[in-house]
Amino acid sequence: MKSTTLSFLVRVPSAAWVVLLLMFIFTTVSGRYLTVGNIVNIIDQNSMLLIVALGATLVLLSEGIDLSSGSVLSLSGVTCVYVMKYLMLSGTSNTIAMFAGVLVGLLTGVVMGAITGALIAISKLPPFIATLGMMGVAGALSLVAANSSAIYINNPVFVFFGSKLDRYIDWPLMGYVSVPTFIAAIVFVAVWIVLYYTSFGRYIIAIGGNESGARLSGVDIIRWKWAIYVMSGLLASLGGIILAARIEAADSIVGVGWEFDAIAAAILGGTSFVKGKGGIAGTVLGVLVIGVARNGLNVIGMPTLWVPALTGTIVILAIVFEVMLSRWKERNRWVRQGLR
Amino acid sequence: MLQARGITKKFPGVTALDKVDFDLLSGEVHILLGENGAGKSTLIKVLSGAFAPDGGEVFIDGQKVEHFDPRVAQHLAVSVIYQELNLAPYLNVAENIFLGRYPKKYGLIDHARMHTEAAAALRSLNMNVDTHSLVIELTTAQQQMVEIAKALMTRSKILIMDEPTSSLSARETEQLFATIHKLTAQGIGIIYISHRLQELHEVGDRVTVLRDGQFIGCKKIDEVTVDELVGMMVGHSVDETFGHDFGPRGAECLRVENLCSGKRLQDVSISLHFGEIVGLAGLVGSGRTDLARAIFGVDRYDSGTIVLFGKEMKNFNASDMVDLGVSLIPEDRKVQGLALILPIAENIVVSSLDRLFPRFFVGRQKEKEIAMQYVEKLRIATPSTARLAQFLSGGNQQKVVLAKWLCTKAKIFIFDEPTRGIDVGAKAEIHGFMNELVRQGAAVMMISSELPEVIGMSDRVYVMREGRIVVELPHTETTQERIIHFAMGADEASRRKGGRTATDMDHATSSAPSQATGEGPGLAK
Repeated sequence: MKSTTLSFLVRVPSAAWVVLLLMFIFTTVSGRYLTVGNIVNIIDQNSMLLIVALGATLVLLSEGIDLSSGSVLSLSGVTCVYVMKYLMLSGTSNTIAMFAGVLVGLLTGVVMGAITGALIAISKLPPFIATLGMMGVAGALSLVAANSSAIYINNPVFVFFGSKLDRYIDWPLMGYVSVPTFIAAIVFVAVWIVLYYTSFGRYIIAIGGNESGARLSGVDIIRWKWAIYVMSGLLASLGGIILAARIEAADSIVGVGWEFDAIAAAILGGTSFVKGKGGIAGTVLGVLVIGVARNGLNVIGMPTLWVPALTGTIVILAIVFEVMLSRWKERNRWVRQGLR
Repeated sequence: MLQARGITKKFPGVTALDKVDFDLLSGEVHILLGENGAGKSTLIKVLSGAFAPDGGEVFIDGQKVEHFDPRVAQHLAVSVIYQELNLAPYLNVAENIFLGRYPKKYGLIDHARMHTEAAAALRSLNMNVDTHSLVIELTTAQQQMVEIAKALMTRSKILIMDEPTSSLSARETEQLFATIHKLTAQGIGIIYISHRLQELHEVGDRVTVLRDGQFIGCKKIDEVTVDELVGMMVGHSVDETFGHDFGPRGAECLRVENLCSGKRLQDVSISLHFGEIVGLAGLVGSGRTDLARAIFGVDRYDSGTIVLFGKEMKNFNASDMVDLGVSLIPEDRKVQGLALILPIAENIVVSSLDRLFPRFFVGRQKEKEIAMQYVEKLRIATPSTARLAQFLSGGNQQKVVLAKWLCTKAKIFIFDEPTRGIDVGAKAEIHGFMNELVRQGAAVMMISSELPEVIGMSDRVYVMREGRIVVELPHTETTQERIIHFAMGADEASRRKGGRTATDMDHATSSAPSQATGEGPGLAK
C-alpha cells in the first residue's frame, strides 16, 4: 500500500465524492443553493426515496431485482387514500380512518410483494420477469382505483406524515426534522438491524453470494427469498403512503420512475448485482446523489421539463464512475494480496 | 458408521449407479475412485441426501435412513465439501461457518459468541485467519479450511470431500492432509474423492473403485499399487508413456521479453518454436496463467515486449490474437472455454464465424458439417452436434474447446491445465492430439500442475515461481524432483544455508495470489 491517505480516499464511497462535487458546482452557480433551509429540504424530499431504495438494496443483495416498487408505491398510496376517504365519508372519525387507510396501504404493499415473492421463490420465475409483470399490474390497478387521476384527501390527522416535527414536539431544532425524515431514519435503523443482526439479513447476503451453498447449509431459500420481496413491497408502500400524506392526494402515476431511482441509489451506494456485495449505508449516499442533483438543477433555474433528463444523465455518469472505481479497487486488491 | 447397500440411481436414459455397496468406518479415509461419469458424484449425493436413490438402503450408525435430504444429513452429522465451495463471498468467515444456525441473544445474532467459537474451531485446525475477514478475500486453500471448520461445527462425524486438492498447491495439499489426519484421529470418517493418483497412498486407508456406475472393488490401500487401481478404473491398462517424440523444432514463433505486470509477472522472458511443446510448471499462483493471459491479450501488462511471428505486438487484444492464429484453451473450460447452453456445433464454429461465413449470415447446414468433421476427428462422444455442451463429460468438453481452436486454423496453442479433472482415457487422447498438432508443425505451450504430464510431454520446461521464470530445463534434465525443487524455491533455501526458514517458505508460498481467486474479476467481465 502506497499510503494510508490514499487508501482512506479510496475507501470513501465514490457517491460521497459525487455529492460533494455536485454541491460545489451548484454552490458556485447559485448563491441560494447552500442554505440550511435547502439542505433540510433535500433531506426531507428524499426521505421516501431512501425508504424505497432500502428495499431495493435488500433485493439487489440477494441477486434479485424489484422493478415493481414504483407501481406498488402508487397503488399503495391510492388504496390508502381510497379507504380513508370512504370511511370518512361514511362518518368514521379522522383518526380511525387514518389508521385504517395506512394499514390497508401497507397491506397492499405486503400482498403485492408476497405475490411477486411467491412467483420468484416458489414458481422460480426470474425476478426481472416477475417484478416487471407486477410493475404493469400494480400500475394498471392504481389507475383503475383512482380512475386515472388523483384522489384528494382532507384529513388533518393524516397530514402528520407529511409535516415537520415541531408541530408535535416542542423541542429546539424540531423545525428542521420532518416526519418523513424521522420515519426514514427509523426504517434505516430497522433495516440495519435486520441486515446485520438477524439470520434473515445474513441469509440475504448468503443467497446473493451462493444460493446453492446456502441451501446446502440448511437455509430455507424459498421462505427467505419470498420474505425479501415482501419486505421490498412493504417499504415501497410506506413510501407511497408518506408521499400521499405530503401532497394530500393519491396520484395514480406518482410512482413512475421510482424503481429506477431506487435501484440507481443502491448501485451508486456500492451495492452490486452479483454475489451479495454491498450494504445499506452506501444507499443513503446514493439517494443523496439523486436528491442533490434534482434539487440543484431546480435551484439554479433549469427549466422544469429538462430536470428529469439531466438528473438521469448525472445518475448514469455517477454509476459509470462508481463501477469503474470499484473495478479499479478490485484489481488493486489482488495486487495488494500478492504483496502481503 | 455408514453403510450403503445396493444403491441404484437412474436418470433418464442412464443408470448412474447400479447396486453399489459402500461402507465407512470411523477414523478412516475411504477413497472413492473412478473416471468421470463412473458415478462417484452421484454416490456422494445419495450418501449426503441430495439425491434420493431409486433402490438400496443407507444405514448410519446402524439406523436405516428414510427421507434423506440435506437437513436430515446435517442432523445425522454428514457433511459434504464440494469442489465448488459453498461459501458466501461477502459474508465473513464466522458468518459462513455458522450459516444456517446463528447463535442468538435477545433474538438477534450474537456476533461476539459467534466469532469466539469460530476462532476456536479454526485454531483447532491450525488455521490462522481473522474470522472478521470476508471469504472473498481468502485464498482457495483458506476457503476450504473454512468449509471444513463449518462441517465440524455441525459436529459432523462423516465428512465427504470432493476433489479437495484440485485447486491447491503442493504445500497447501500437505497442510490439508495434516488436517485430515488430525480429524481421523478424532474418529471422524472421511470419504475422499480424487483424481490425483499420486496422493492416494499418502492420505487413504481404503479405496473403492467405481466404473460406469458399477462397484468394481474395495481394497486396503497398502495392498494395491497405482497401476492396479488404474487398471480397475479403466478396465484395461493404460500405458503411462505419453507418445511424444522429442524431435527437432522449427523456427521461433513467439518471443516474450522482460514482461512485467505488477507483482504477478516479473521480468519474464520465454520463447516458443514451431514443432515443440513447451511446458510451464510451477505452483498454483506462480504466474503461469497470468503469463498466458498477458500473451493472449486478455490482461494488460506494464512493460516488456511480445514478438509474434517476428513482429512486435502493440496494443493488441484477444480478438487480434485469434486472427493471427493464437489460441488459449483455458483452465476453466466451463466458464472460459465453452458456452455450456449452446450446442456443440455452435461452440466449435463460434471463433471462426468471420472466416467461414464472410457474408454475415450463418449457414446452419455448413456449420453442422464442419462441426461433424471435428467431432469425428477428435472422437467426441456425442449422439449429435446439436447436443448442448453442458451435457458432455469433462474430457469431451475439453475436446470441443480444442475443436473450436482447430477450426480457427490456429498455429499456436496455449493449453492451461489441459487435463485437469478429466478421466484417464480422455487424458491420453488429449495428449495424442497435442502430439499430433506438434507433428503438423504447430507450437504448443502447456501449463500443467501434473508433473508426469509436464515431463512426458514437454520438449522444454520453464519453471515459474512468484511471477518469475526460475529456470529453463531441456527435456533430458526434467525430473519431478528437480521441478519441485525449483518451483518451491528449495534451491534458494539450500544456497542460503538455512537463511530461509520453513516459515519464510510458508510466507513465500502463501503470498502468491491464488489463481482461483486472483482471476475472479477477470472471469466476471
